[in-house]
Order: sequence, then structure tokens, then C-alpha cells
Amino acid sequence: MNSHVITLEGVWKIFGENADAAMAAILDRSLSKAEVLEEFACVVGIVDVTFSVNRGEIFCVMGLSGSGKSTMVRHLNRLIEPTAGKISILGRDILELSSTELREMRAQKIGMVFQHMALLPHRTVRDNVAFPLQVRGEPKSRRWQVSRVCLERVNLSGYEDRYPHELSGGMQQRVGLARALASDPDVLLMDEPFSALDPLIRRQLQDQFMALSAELQKTTVFITHDLDEAIRIGNRIAIMNDGRIIQIGTPEEIVTNPADDYVRDFVEGISKLKLVFAHSIMVPVDEYEHPHRVDSDHCPRVHHGTDLDHLIDIATTTDHVIVITDDDGTDIGVIDRATLLKGVQGGKA
Amino acid sequence: MTDSERMTSLQEVEDFAVQNGSYYAEQFARIQGKTGYTWTWNTMAALFGPLWGAARGIWGFFWIFLVLELFALVQIGRGLWGELGAEQLVRYERLMANIARREQQAAELVAAGDAEGAQAKLDIADNLRAVADNALVAAEAASGKALTILLTGLVLVVLIKIAEGTYANYAYEAQYLRFRSGKNVQAGIRRSTIIFGTVGMIAIWPLTLIRFTVAKPDEMVAGLTGGLLGEKLTITTFPVGKEYFALLAKKGDNGFDWLAINFGDVFDGVSAAIRQVLDWLELLLIQTPWPVVMFVTVVMALRLAGPRVAIFTAASLAYLAFMGLWELAMITVALIGAGAFLCVLFGIPLGIWFGKSRRAYAFAEPVLDFMQTMPAFVYLIPIIAFFGTGKPPGVLATIIFAMPPVIRLTALGMRGVPESTKEAAIAFGCSPRQLLFNVELPLALPSIMTGINQTILMALSMVVIASLIGAEGLGALILEALQYAAKGQGLLGGLAILFCAMVIDRIAQGVYRQKVGGR
Repeated sequence: MNSHVITLEGVWKIFGENADAAMAAILDRSLSKAEVLEEFACVVGIVDVTFSVNRGEIFCVMGLSGSGKSTMVRHLNRLIEPTAGKISILGRDILELSSTELREMRAQKIGMVFQHMALLPHRTVRDNVAFPLQVRGEPKSRRWQVSRVCLERVNLSGYEDRYPHELSGGMQQRVGLARALASDPDVLLMDEPFSALDPLIRRQLQDQFMALSAELQKTTVFITHDLDEAIRIGNRIAIMNDGRIIQIGTPEEIVTNPADDYVRDFVEGISKLKLVFAHSIMVPVDEYEHPHRVDSDHCPRVHHGTDLDHLIDIATTTDHVIVITDDDGTDIGVIDRATLLKGVQGGKA
Repeated sequence: MTDSERMTSLQEVEDFAVQNGSYYAEQFARIQGKTGYTWTWNTMAALFGPLWGAARGIWGFFWIFLVLELFALVQIGRGLWGELGAEQLVRYERLMANIARREQQAAELVAAGDAEGAQAKLDIADNLRAVADNALVAAEAASGKALTILLTGLVLVVLIKIAEGTYANYAYEAQYLRFRSGKNVQAGIRRSTIIFGTVGMIAIWPLTLIRFTVAKPDEMVAGLTGGLLGEKLTITTFPVGKEYFALLAKKGDNGFDWLAINFGDVFDGVSAAIRQVLDWLELLLIQTPWPVVMFVTVVMALRLAGPRVAIFTAASLAYLAFMGLWELAMITVALIGAGAFLCVLFGIPLGIWFGKSRRAYAFAEPVLDFMQTMPAFVYLIPIIAFFGTGKPPGVLATIIFAMPPVIRLTALGMRGVPESTKEAAIAFGCSPRQLLFNVELPLALPSIMTGINQTILMALSMVVIASLIGAEGLGALILEALQYAAKGQGLLGGLAILFCAMVIDRIAQGVYRQKVGGR
């Protein structure tokens, strides 16, 4: 088995009564979204989405409202049925599952966190967290034990017997997270979990989530409309617009090498200091032509994975160029002031 | 406003008004240029009145002035040819005939030698003569008023014409604004609307005028139309009697009879089932010794709704007991209880179904409306036909009236469950059954409880009506009071029902708060 936990291949979603006819027409005649709406009264939700997520990875999907990102994530546990394409989770084609198998899969393998928490108002925090276990038919003692552990993980010990409305928004969302973790799923789906929170709380929860995630190593698909958040949290980021995935890459790749103007627009405002590393701006040693020979003995030497922030610190303490080394300590590149400033300004450009 | 702007706005009005466009452009500019009222005069509107409105498609104007002008014309008609005082004259003649008869009787009595009897008759005749004189005076006075009425009519016509002339441009300007926002408003003069307006006036004016100015309108119309209207088709009353009604009513009778004969077993079965529930409840409420029932009720009120309600409950029960109404009250409560229990038993599942299926609800909605708005007496008749009289049919009538709220509010509650909450539950692997019992019903509970409460109260309001078809209890007591005009009995019985209702309501509210209040 490969290490892909989630794989989507050519997934389409078209909303409307004539979805199948519209799908066929799109493949035949490559209609635009507007034409589909006109001809079939169908709305194209997501367009030919293909990607895979590795085990333990946090895969962020970033897009503005209406870009289809929430629709896309609902395909992963078949809350929404795709019009075309293949979706496999943990090596099983989930479109082939019977409704019982699907329910088992949802209850045991996939946890989900929602933007609006969606807690049950008539149940205590404990019973909310234990809800997935109750659905699976676990006995009460086990439910209580698991929800205690999960609430501890999200720092909510002592709130077991409260009702959701007694908690603040941030706390409610932590309950939502605890609920998603309660069944110890292999996959976590997070649909804009922190979007409805105010910035300070959001940052706290992001930190908490990252710590938790480092500990638990859950394969996560994280939906957000906030590129900063995607960059902070994601191992890889997919950028969606109009139902399509425009670019998939690490935060650095996205920032330094945007696929088109749409992505470039987004990336513009992002601080690159901690995202761009020495190896992507350095000039290779053999190409470096300097009016003066590099006095390599006095030059500071740093690892190629040093970020811009750190490089600036070094540059302010020396008049020499900075020499970049690879993992073995061999000199592979050089960064002088001009290169560094360019790098700060616009990444690789 | 620059000149070019002015030109375009004038042009826009002309495109709207078409005929006489430049006149209207000027008038609208005047109206729009003033914040308050400004004098405008539209001769065409004053001249043609309602027809002008019809031609321009201003139907409000058309109808208002159609009626006003008609009113003025009726006054003129009455002044010119109306037989004013005709009724008084007829009365005078009738009275005179009566007097003549009495006098003749008096003469006969005198001839028979009964002077006293004759005098009595003559006294009556004298009294009648005074009344007859008054009638004659009134008749003469009425015919003397003809000129006044004619003049009033003429003045009215002038006033109405002035109103038409001054108001027309305002009405048309309002029409223009609707036209601009594109609401399918007629532009210019249209022949079809003129024809419609004319037909409307011909249909309304002559007949109404004749009806109000001529003493015998049917004969007059018959003369004018050669006997078609007025004689074959009378205009003062609708020319159809009760023949269709009788026919259909007969068919209805037969239909019900057929049902009663062919489905008798079904109706008996329903009756027996209701009786079962009733017997069970009556056993509980009446056969149980009264101290036990009282104690349990008061404790229930105390635990569920607090000490104040408990005191009120105790007082109400004491009232029932000391008035000697205990058994009647328990019979009534059993009746309502059976009705409400069956309502809830069938209403909640139906409500869940209607809440989930829009199509089913679309079918059910008119039926529910029917159940709630149809007067109870109407379905009491078929209920008697199918189920006879007594308690079970009374319960059935109660169910018909009291079931809709619990159905409606259950459906409402089900539809009010947020989609996002349902989605989350499904995402964690809920089956439809688990979704219903763990998420939808608990979240719909406040609404369902309100529905149950409403159903109980509506069932109570059916007590008296149910007693009409032989359901005993407090309702029968009040019905009896009504038949013998026994005011005191009615009041005491009414109070007893009121107290039953309030106790049940308060306890139900208490349950509601305990179930729902925690959120």
C-alpha cells in the first residue's frame, strides 16, 4: 500500500436535476460554468479535482467563499455525492461502500470539525464529545472515559457537565475538536474550524491544534479562507478558485512560485521572512561572479535551510557575503546583500 | 437640471402617455416640482370620468368614480322620476282599508245590539286613522323633497367632476412611476381597455339606476328588455331557488348513508378503540378514590410547577369537590385526556412525517386547515351518522378539532432543526433512526411541547360542543343550563371547566419548563 491516505481522481460535482446530462455535455463540448447554468440550470460546484494526501500530513485547502472548498471536503466522507470521479480513503473506494459500511467508516475512520461547531444543545459537553462513540454503540463507561481524555487534550477538563451554550465560541470549537478526536479516527476533516472566531482566539486554537497534531499525527484536510492560516498550519497547500484546484505545493513553493496571477495576488501580502529559505535565493557557487574574490575564510557559513529572517540577522553582523552549505557542510551557494534584499522583496524574483 | 436632462425626462413622460404626451409631460413636471399640493386640471378626465380612467388603464380611478357618479345619478333620477313617498302612500291605503273594515264590523255589532263591542272597534279605527294621517303627511312631505334631492344630485355631479379633473393628473403621475419601475403598466390609451370600461358601465349603471329610482324595477326592466330580464330573470332576487341545493344535499345524505351501512364495522371498531382508552382513563380518575386522585394531582403540581401552582390546584379541586362536580369533572377530564392522548399518539408521527416530506405536508396542509376552521357542528352531523351518540363520538370530534396544532408544531420543530447540526450528526455515522431520536426529536422538543399544550387546551374548548352529541360531563351541565336559561348553573359549570383547564395547562407548562428550560 502506498502512503496516500486520501486520493481524489478527477472528482466533479454538479448541482441540479440534470447533473448527469450537464456532466456529459461538459466533457463533450467543454462548456463554461455560465453556459452550464444557462443550458441545464445546473451549478458547477467543483471541477476535476485531483490530489492525494500522505499519511500524517496536514493538507490545507485554501479558497475564498464560493470556491468549492467546503463542497470538496464533504465529498471525502460522502456527505455530498460526486457527479464523477474516484475517491479513496485509506485504500478503499468510498463510492462503492454500502450505506452501513459508509456509516461505519464515518463513525470510526473519519472525524470532522465544522465552522459553526454544530454541537447538540441538549447534551452536556461530555455527551457531545462522546456522541460518535454512542452512535457506534459503545457503553457509557467507555464513553465517559474517552471523552475525559479528549477534553483533557483540548484543555477543557472540568467542563464535562456543562452545556454548550454555557461555553464561549473558542471553547465550543475545542469541544468540536474533542468530538472529532473521540473516535480516534485516521482522518480529520476540518471545515474552516477557526473562521468564526476572533483573531486572538483563532491564533491560540491554531497553536493548540498544531501541538496536538504533532503529537497525534492525524492525516488532516484543513479548509480555510485565510492564507496566513494555511501557511502556518499546512504541510502542503492547495489553492482553489471557482471549483478548480489552481496550485498545490508547500507553503514555500506557493509563496515563491505562484502558479498564476490569482495566486500571486494572494501571496503578495504574505511576509516571506519565515517561508523562504537560503537554498531558494542563493546563487550557486560556480555561477557567482563577484568583483572581489570571495574571501571564503571570513565568510559566515549557514545551512541551506536557513530562513530569510535568520539570514538578515547574520548579514547585519558581517560585511562579507554569506556562504551556504549543504547537509554535508560543502559550500553550494552564496548570498550577498543584493540577493538577500531581492529575496526579502519577492522571494525568488 | 440641465436642458438635456429636462428633454430626456420630458421625452420619457411622452413615451408613457403617448396621446397628449406633451401636455402630461408639462403637468407631471409641475406635480414633481412641488412638495405640497398643486392645482392641475384635466378636462378630458372631468368630461369622461371613469371612462378616462379606463382608457388610460388607471383602474382605481375608474372604479371609484364609477361608483361616485352612479350615486349622483341615482339622486338625480330619484328627483326627476322617482316615486317618492310611494311606500307611505301604500301604507296609507292599507290603513284606510283596515279602518273601513273596523267601521263595518262596528256597524254590524251595533246592528247586533253590542254597543260596547262596537265602541271598541271604533276606538281602534280612530287610533288607526291618526296613524294613517301621519303616513299621508309623510308621503306628501317626501314628494315635496323631490326638488331638493334633484338639486343635491346636480351639485354632487359638479363636485365629482371637479374632483376628477383635479385628481386625474395625480393618479396618472403615480401610474407613471409604476410604469417606470417596469411593473407591466399600460402606456398611452388602449382601445381594449376603453371597451372594457364601457361594458362595465353598461353592466352596472342602468340596472342599478332603475333599482334605486323606480318602485317596481322588475316590471320596468321587463318592459325595456322585452321580458328577458325582470320577468324570466328577476333582477331584485337571484332567479334560482333551492332546487340545486336540495338535489346535492339529498345526494350527500345518500352518500353518508351508504358509508354508514357499508363501513359500519370500521366505525364500530374505531368507536370500540376510543371507548377502550376512555374506560381506562375513567377507571383511573373516577374509580380511584377521590382522596388519592386529589393527592396525586396536588403533588404532581408541586413537583412539576412549584408551590404556587400547587396551591391553586388544591383550591380548584376543592371548588370542584364542594360544588358536587367532582365526578362530572373527572368524566370531563377523562374525555379530554382520551382526546388529547389520541391526538398526540397520531399527531406526533404525522408531524414528523410532514416535517420531513414537503410533498406530504403540501397535501396535508389544506386538510389541517379544514379540520381547524370547519365549524364543529358540520362534522358533528356525519359523526352522529357513523358513530351514533355518546362519549366515543364526542372524543372523535375533539380529536378532529384538537389534532392540527400538535401536527403543525411537530412539523415546524422538525423543519427548524439546523441543517448544520444534522450534517454533523451524519458525518459521525448516524443512521436515520439515530438521527431522529438523538438529534431531530430532542431539538424539536420545545415546539412539540407547545403543540401538545395547545392541543390539550383546544380539546377543553370542545367539551360543550361534544356534549351536544351526548358526551356527558361538565359540558352537559352547561348545555342543560343553556336550555333552561339557568344562569347560576351555567356560571358554576363554566368556572369548573375553567379551573380544570388552568390546572392542566399549568401542570403541562411545568413539564415543559422542566424538559426545555435547562437550555
